[in-house]
Amino acid sequence: MIENFKKRFQKDGIWVLFLLPALLIYLVFMAAPLLDSMRLSLYTGKGYTPTEFVGLQNYIDLFTNPVWRERFLGALKNTVIFFAIHMIVQNSLGLFFANLLSQDFKGRNFFRTIIFAPATLSVLVTGFLWTLILNPHWGAINQTLKAIGLDSWAKPWLGDENLALVTISLASVWQWVGMPTVLFLAGLLGISDEILEAARVDGASSWHIFWKIKFPLLKPVVGVVAILTFVDNFNAFDVIYAMAGAKGEPGYSTDLLATFFYRTGIAGEHPIGIPNMGMGAAIATITFVILMTGVLIWLYSSRKNEDLV
Amino acid sequence: MSRTQKLFTYSALSIWAFVAIFPIWTLIVNSFKPQKEIFSNPFGLPQNFTLEGYKAVWLKGNFGTYFLNTIYVTVISLALIIFFGSLAAYALAKWNSKSSTALYVFFIAGLMIPIRLGTIDLVRLMQFLNLQDTIWSLIPVYVAMGMPISIFILTAFVKNLPREMFDAAKVDGASEWRIYLQIVVPLLRPAIATVAIFNMMKIWNDFWFPLVFIRAEESRTVALGVSLLFGQYRTDWTRALSTLSLAAIPILILYILLSREFIKGLTAGAVKG
Amino acid sequence: MKKTLFVVFMLMALILTACGAPAPAEEAPAAEAPAAEEAPVAAEEEAPVAEAVKLTLGSWRVDDVDAWEAILAAFNAENPNITVNFDPTNPPDYNATLRTQLETGTAPDLYFVRSFATGLELFESGYVASLADIPGLAENVPAGAIAPWATAEGEAFAVPIAAVSHGVYYNQDLFEANGIEIPQTWEALLAAAQTLQDAGVTPFANGTKDAWDINEVVMMTILPNNVGGLDGRMAYLNGERCFNDADVVAAYTQIQDLAPFLPDSYTATDYYTSQQLFVQGQAAMMFDGSWSISAFEKDAPEFNWSVFAAPAAEGQDQYISFHMDAAIGMNPATENAEAAMTFLEWLEGESFGEAFGNGVPGFFPVSNNVPTLTNPVANAFLAFNGNAAGTDIRFVWEKLLASPEGVVGTYGAMNDGVIAVLAGDQTPQEAADSLQEAIAAWYEPAQSCK
Repeated sequence: MIENFKKRFQKDGIWVLFLLPALLIYLVFMAAPLLDSMRLSLYTGKGYTPTEFVGLQNYIDLFTNPVWRERFLGALKNTVIFFAIHMIVQNSLGLFFANLLSQDFKGRNFFRTIIFAPATLSVLVTGFLWTLILNPHWGAINQTLKAIGLDSWAKPWLGDENLALVTISLASVWQWVGMPTVLFLAGLLGISDEILEAARVDGASSWHIFWKIKFPLLKPVVGVVAILTFVDNFNAFDVIYAMAGAKGEPGYSTDLLATFFYRTGIAGEHPIGIPNMGMGAAIATITFVILMTGVLIWLYSSRKNEDLV
Repeated sequence: MSRTQKLFTYSALSIWAFVAIFPIWTLIVNSFKPQKEIFSNPFGLPQNFTLEGYKAVWLKGNFGTYFLNTIYVTVISLALIIFFGSLAAYALAKWNSKSSTALYVFFIAGLMIPIRLGTIDLVRLMQFLNLQDTIWSLIPVYVAMGMPISIFILTAFVKNLPREMFDAAKVDGASEWRIYLQIVVPLLRPAIATVAIFNMMKIWNDFWFPLVFIRAEESRTVALGVSLLFGQYRTDWTRALSTLSLAAIPILILYILLSREFIKGLTAGAVKG
Repeated sequence: MKKTLFVVFMLMALILTACGAPAPAEEAPAAEAPAAEEAPVAAEEEAPVAEAVKLTLGSWRVDDVDAWEAILAAFNAENPNITVNFDPTNPPDYNATLRTQLETGTAPDLYFVRSFATGLELFESGYVASLADIPGLAENVPAGAIAPWATAEGEAFAVPIAAVSHGVYYNQDLFEANGIEIPQTWEALLAAAQTLQDAGVTPFANGTKDAWDINEVVMMTILPNNVGGLDGRMAYLNGERCFNDADVVAAYTQIQDLAPFLPDSYTATDYYTSQQLFVQGQAAMMFDGSWSISAFEKDAPEFNWSVFAAPAAEGQDQYISFHMDAAIGMNPATENAEAAMTFLEWLEGESFGEAFGNGVPGFFPVSNNVPTLTNPVANAFLAFNGNAAGTDIRFVWEKLLASPEGVVGTYGAMNDGVIAVLAGDQTPQEAADSLQEAIAAWYEPAQSCK
């Protein structure tokens, strides 16, 4: 048995050593605190360390109490919309720009630099900027629309329950579109020139080259981009907090799972401000389960394709 | 490129470049205007140029200290993330066993829970380690936070590297450590650039952990200083915009200086498919 | 390539040396967090009075940093051994940060405590010290001001420092230009608004994007007029009246009256934008709290401005919202309880009243030692408070905030109703009905109301 262990160690020990630093720091400073906090979803009480054990009651309330359920389902729905807008708009734009930027032309480095620049800014900054630009009274957007005679298009972008979530999503797309662009660009530049040259010689149109040659080769990158978009946007918090407050105004129409969690478990409802960490932890745990399911499906399917992992 | 292609490329990219720059332009030019001019002339160059906002902000906060702190925290955290993350990713990619799959999923799981949930435990941990109120309380948390995304990106990348490279080195009798240093790290460069950029922005701009870990003036980061001053100046637009510009301009300059490297790193080393 | 690698390894070397160093190296002098220990603060050996003591005062008043630093300097001049450092957090983050600090033992020695349910919960959780034994509180501060920070049995846990009032700020130049007098009745207010609108001026600057302001500084400003001040409110709390009776409907109807006079796109107009519309002279009036005096002064409007009371409907008595806003309490875990107590006692006296009442205009000291205020707008507030039939705190604060989990909060229900009435999504009656329904879901007196 010891022999066996020794043998195993000689074979695998080096990998354990390689993994050790990452694993230790991740365990101590992330996994353990998070797991311990998820345990709180089985408790109730005021503040951050609820003490009264209630089993699954928080989860039951979340799904059956009409007030909790309405907020939870509302936040879930908004989160799905928020994610879908990023998935479709941000990633299509990213693919489009990456395709343009992968060509050889003067000034492409300038454009490559610009497109990613907003992503370097804090959401505190970009959120405030966009509320300024979208301000109905002196914001650039409505002033421009009025100046060119489109008065009826000058909407209360952040005040309308039907517009606010889309507007904020687009502001967020503006900030983050550089991410998929850069990832796709790296993928596109990795495609060997001979393949593309051959296709061109055969007289294929650039449209055809893109869809029939480049896109299939980009599939692994598409996978990575999709999964990052999924994970990032299901946990999105800052941009809503900065542009619509912790309650997801107007009328909870921009409330996401993360703002719902923050309001319930961390800050408490205005103006009382007494947090309910037990319920907050339940919300976070459910979000986690949704995300984990999504990611595991992806891992499973990509393993089958042997594209990536 | 044909003419029409060129025209299309330039116009599409120019439009977006305008959209991308315009808000940042608004931020920076307006921070040099007195409040009234911000409303009367919101987009043009300042007519009554003023540095009052910056002066007030600079006098009020110790931005020199904040910048140094933020740079320490960001650089040290990034270096550790890259080192630990690439080591782990190499191991996860090459070690074929049930435990490695399980560990991989365990790391990835960290992407999916809001870290705020663990705040209270983390604050207690920092107290226990006696790191409360120092910038050293932030670094381990950021490194831990950076592990999932880094391992996710880097592992995928290592798995995509051609197997023959490792096998050849193995045959030559190189140790795993040598292979890691001499083959994997150089090849990983583009992925490392991605990981660095991803994490750099998160760390540089985070203000939640500074907010709960740090009260001492001498340990504040830029994001914390900015968020505190921004609240204070919420009604004084010149100062508010100056505060935000102070947060934005250094990172923008840093990014522009590094962007060539960043984009080259990202693209030059890309594996030929 | 080589160069990048070199840089990376230099960095790693740097870190390794840094980590190898015994402790939080020089860059970050490990300033010991004040009051980090969990030691319960029994009266055990406090610092000798002669020794210099540093205290920290937590607050949500980020707007008044300069004024507070002056107030604390005044305290230090009288108590040279004690320095108090003002350490504010942005209002949206205040509760969460304070909570985190309290639960982990890193909270400031003294901090601002919110009134009623929020403060009481902190006290019951043991995060704010009892002031049952503080000398002079009962003599220096009226009982009505202490109550929002005391238990039902009357045990106080914070020294009240400030009340705020609500009113209608107005642009005197625009009023004059349009021949408008200060409206004495609600009907006159609406007529004035109509005149202004006909002249192309936005009558009111208020909006609903931030939601809280329309509820707190508009709805809860006009409610006392409609329900009859304190006595009227008590009748609701005791179950003698229902929350959808004619008076509450009347208040929602007044909200409906305002709808045509709000700015274009008022749904996207946030609180700060409203204030800007007013100070830039684009809107002639704004419902707002007295705390905004200094914000308006800082912006130095190019016109004369002051404030009047939100008028009651023709033939009804005038009541004013005068709300207990802030008190300061002591962290039971402080290591400097004696010095902190000295500070709390100082808050009851004349020097604080003077430094605060005139240092932060619009926050009205609530002790009996109120100085003569010099700010004209603050005095305008005091004048209409004095002339009114009565004053009262904000409608939902007492008792109604303490709803259990899993029901619609009263504050939120009222806020939603106000916004829905403005948008025309609900009639005043419907809004009042849903308010009654939300409250009756948990508040017993409302279940058997008449």
